[in-house]
Amino acid sequence: MQSLYVEGNTVLHRLPAGLKLGSLIAFSIAVFVSGSLAFLGALLVLAASLYFALPMRPRQAFARLVPIGAAILLVGGFNLIFSPWQVAAVSVLRLSALMFLAAAITAATPVPAFIDTVTRFAMPLERAGLLRAADIGLAVGLVIRFVPDILQRYHAIHDAHRARGIRFRPSGAIVPLIILTLRDADSIADAIDARGIRGGQEKRKTK
Amino acid sequence: MRIEFLEAGVTYEGRAALHPLTLTLTGRRIGIIGLNGSGKTTFARLINGLTKPTTGKVRVNGRDTLDDQAAVTADAGYVFQSPQNQIILPILKDDIELGLKARGVAKADLAARVEGTLARLGIAHLAERRAHELSGGELQLAALGAVLATRPSLVILDEPTNQLDLKNRRRVAETIDALDEDVIAISHDLATLSSFERVLHFHEGRLVGDGPAASVIAQYEAMNR
Repeated sequence: MQSLYVEGNTVLHRLPAGLKLGSLIAFSIAVFVSGSLAFLGALLVLAASLYFALPMRPRQAFARLVPIGAAILLVGGFNLIFSPWQVAAVSVLRLSALMFLAAAITAATPVPAFIDTVTRFAMPLERAGLLRAADIGLAVGLVIRFVPDILQRYHAIHDAHRARGIRFRPSGAIVPLIILTLRDADSIADAIDARGIRGGQEKRKTK
Repeated sequence: MRIEFLEAGVTYEGRAALHPLTLTLTGRRIGIIGLNGSGKTTFARLINGLTKPTTGKVRVNGRDTLDDQAAVTADAGYVFQSPQNQIILPILKDDIELGLKARGVAKADLAARVEGTLARLGIAHLAERRAHELSGGELQLAALGAVLATRPSLVILDEPTNQLDLKNRRRVAETIDALDEDVIAISHDLATLSSFERVLHFHEGRLVGDGPAASVIAQYEAMNR
């Protein structure tokens, strides 16, 4: 039950969660509107600076980015094969800048703040009768909350292979990882139901 | 507390996890024993409304678990076998607040409710701690705290001392013993249940024993020698 949140008192920690999420949306639009290598490079430096200014050891900071960083390099590699190098560079810069800013905001914002903010943002949709805002907030919070657990499970599968002297292949971890994750998702869903977290107002007890 | 099972049973894919049974539970401390897969957890989950009866009805304090699940859930708190799956948010205080917010507790009251609950369990110092840093006993108490904070009248505990060492087992057992709320506890730790006023014994999905702790535990031990 690890957390992506990193304790600290940086400027990013102190900003309201709503402003941070709003900025991330604006930043995402900016990186996809522009195709300028210089502009995207500047945004990447800005986002990376925010990320590395957080109180984390460099090793810890890099380790968090490995899975998504590898995926970005893969995308860049494919682009390099089928498109001019400038196209590949633009896509790598865009995705990397987004990765750094999203990782920085995730590390500097507690999960309950995410849940409350997303719930507030989704309220107009609830008023329009489209969904329950609290469900959206909870869903986003749970995704952020369970990312480290999924990584932890991947490492446990890796260790189990080593302990039994079986050669580990990442592709071989996919099926057990999905099964374990779904099983835990069931348990968490049970806990949410049992604790009445999806709408069990106290006043109902008095019915 | 008054729990009524009216020919309530559960069948999964053609196999009876719990054969239909009719009984009424009242009293402050009720224990449930039985071998693995005997239907204990299914029975307990029916009370909280987590599992729906495939036949019959279950009523908790007069409310049907099918028709009024939100009210039943609020009245009958459930502590799972694995506390790490019960605690949803990483920081203990945040996790307890999550449950309280869902029940519409005013923001101004949240801190006091969390503090009061944790103090009652003797773990107020853990409020800001991350769940993965807690010991097994602390985690179990934290999961119990998350349920007690919502003020249920009944707490259902599924093997609360199962994963604990001797010291933590005693600590959790003493805490359960001191609860003001009514308790229904599933346990393989027969010593914990020996002081309970009533014990139910399940075997292969059937209720085979129901009575004072000493006699039902003796029957269970005799059957599994």
